[in-house]
Amino acid sequence: MTVDTAVPTPEATTSGVGRRRSFKPRYPAWLALPSLAYQIIFFIGAMSILVAFSFATQTGFNQITYGFSLEQYKQVLDPTYLGIFARTLAMAAGGTILTILVGYPVAYWMARYLGNNKLIALLLIIVPFWTSFLIRTYALKIILDSHGYLAQTLHVDLMYSAWAVGIGLVYNYLPLFILPVFSSLERMDWTLIEAANDLSAKPFSAFRQVTLPLTLPGFVTGALLVFIPMTGEYVIPAILGGGKFVFIGNVIGDAFNSAQNPPFGSALAISLMLALSVFVVIYILVATKEERFGS
Amino acid sequence: MSQKEPNQIRILAPRDVKPKLDYLAREVQEAVGQPISRRQALSLGGLAVLGLSAAACGTASTGTGGGGSAAPSGSTGGTSLAGKPIENMLEIFNWSEYDDPSTYENFKKQSEITAAGTQIHETYYSSNDELLAKMNAGGAGYDIIVPTQNAVAQLLQENKLMKLDMSLIPNISNINASFLKTNFDPTGEYHVAKDFGTTGFYYNNTIITEKLETMMDFYNALPKYVSKGRTNVLDGAEEVVPLALLALGLDANTDKDEDFAAAKDLLMKIRPGVTTIVASDYINDASAGKIILGQGWNGDMRRIVQARKAQGDITAINPTGKSEIWADSWCIPSDAPHPVAAHHWINWLCTPTVAVKEMEYHNYPIPMQSAIDQLGPELKDDPLFNVPTSLTDNYEYILNVSPEVVQKRTKIYTDFKAAG
Repeated sequence: MTVDTAVPTPEATTSGVGRRRSFKPRYPAWLALPSLAYQIIFFIGAMSILVAFSFATQTGFNQITYGFSLEQYKQVLDPTYLGIFARTLAMAAGGTILTILVGYPVAYWMARYLGNNKLIALLLIIVPFWTSFLIRTYALKIILDSHGYLAQTLHVDLMYSAWAVGIGLVYNYLPLFILPVFSSLERMDWTLIEAANDLSAKPFSAFRQVTLPLTLPGFVTGALLVFIPMTGEYVIPAILGGGKFVFIGNVIGDAFNSAQNPPFGSALAISLMLALSVFVVIYILVATKEERFGS
Repeated sequence: MSQKEPNQIRILAPRDVKPKLDYLAREVQEAVGQPISRRQALSLGGLAVLGLSAAACGTASTGTGGGGSAAPSGSTGGTSLAGKPIENMLEIFNWSEYDDPSTYENFKKQSEITAAGTQIHETYYSSNDELLAKMNAGGAGYDIIVPTQNAVAQLLQENKLMKLDMSLIPNISNINASFLKTNFDPTGEYHVAKDFGTTGFYYNNTIITEKLETMMDFYNALPKYVSKGRTNVLDGAEEVVPLALLALGLDANTDKDEDFAAAKDLLMKIRPGVTTIVASDYINDASAGKIILGQGWNGDMRRIVQARKAQGDITAINPTGKSEIWADSWCIPSDAPHPVAAHHWINWLCTPTVAVKEMEYHNYPIPMQSAIDQLGPELKDDPLFNVPTSLTDNYEYILNVSPEVVQKRTKIYTDFKAAG
């Protein structure tokens, strides 16, 4: 009777007699079907369409002929678009560094010094996310404007500059960095720092040799979580850059919308994804390192 | 009548983002206390859509435009409708709030319409893409549509418009002659002009004291005055490149490489003089006096000048020489189920008394001299509303001639923007 289970996996049949404890899944595998179907339709499906588009040729406005043409990818290699790729990655890298500089100290302070007020601080960080992305960006425009508070009182006129775009990026993506860093800092055992101090480590070397390595996975997660969407940014450069700072996202949008040329837009999008996959590989390497050496 | 304009909010956006856009519009308007114009709403809507779909990159690929490959319905009409009875129904597909409510009521009060018992049913679209998608899907059953010039050209090419029976539209004689045959409808048999707008520029006359008259003057002034304040050119590949071509006196719809090279030269030369490249929210900034030199659409510039009335520091110019004109038109789909009623509708809208009410309602000029003459001075004598025909005769409709032309425009536009 015991051998006659509903899921006759090899482990179940062989270990059924000898061992009481079973490692077989507690729930049937088909429960994963809804989310699997969702992924297949909305991620794999959409991606496949994008790939098919990118190898197609445009025959009219929003009319394409499927095939295997590398023409669109050749166009992507035009200096104009390579330049925009480079600028996008540079702006996103700059934005990520600024986010780290602003976000890490905040997360550190929250995790180490706030005690029971941590949750309130966390809430305050998340609250801006309840407002629409677009409205937050427009709100920032009021502050940064040449006739706005910052320019009038402090005489810092940043509107329509690379700095305005950078500030917009940091403001909009900051919580995405703080949250993972905060959670890894919060799990950290602070007695390790005391031990480092006892072993005569100066505060900075204690941070460098203990805190930073222990929070590296959260750090990398947070950095990638802000860097990758920043490379696809579309709205912030349009609003705060006055249309002068073209991100590759803007070019992709133009290809789909005004040029009605899905093949070229798709080729650009796929190229961006390939470029970004390098960073995802870095993430996987760091994440698996954590599994090997983590507690 | 036109006094209600300051409190009026008219936004056109894809229907599914309407709640979101409404909220955004209120926020933005409250911040500055200004309404949003028809064309601004379009670009703002596009921005919002992309903002929403930024995460799901796949959604953008569902082609909305003219994807229909030679739909079965292809008759161009042309058969005479004279003598046929007026149908009891009229199905209108229109931009929302684009016609005065009294126009519908008074149309139904005409004796022959009352006799036929014609009922009007109206549904709305918010972009030409949406209209084209519905038309391509086929079997939409509309009698009246209101496409912009590009969409007229595309529908005409796909044989989706009915050749109008002009014997049923005698009032077309009221329409100014230069709006009958156009580059998007060369024979003038498939559309009747509904209203139009133009592109010009404005400047702060306390800073720029020289006289700027042509679009070329505008471009040349950009590098000269950029150190004095913010300058702006209208965004979009279909604006940036054709407007530069027009400034050079070239064909806005050219496909010649040497023309594009000349436009690119001009654009790159004046690029250091450009502070911003926006089309969605320049009206508020200009009304607040933040832009010293910029391109603008006539209706928007009219609002800017009105907003700066107290200071009187903004001069708006309808350029002499070449510039852009756009127009929305009345058209009848080739498979319209109630074509006679549709012809009567168009004829009704070509009546001067109706056109007067229409213009007072939507504030876009209708090319009908006899109607414009009856308007109050605040509209009739404002060249930003009543753009003189002597000027518009030189203006050109910008069309999406072919994918190749659009691609060339987009490439130059991208280079122009990236050269910061």
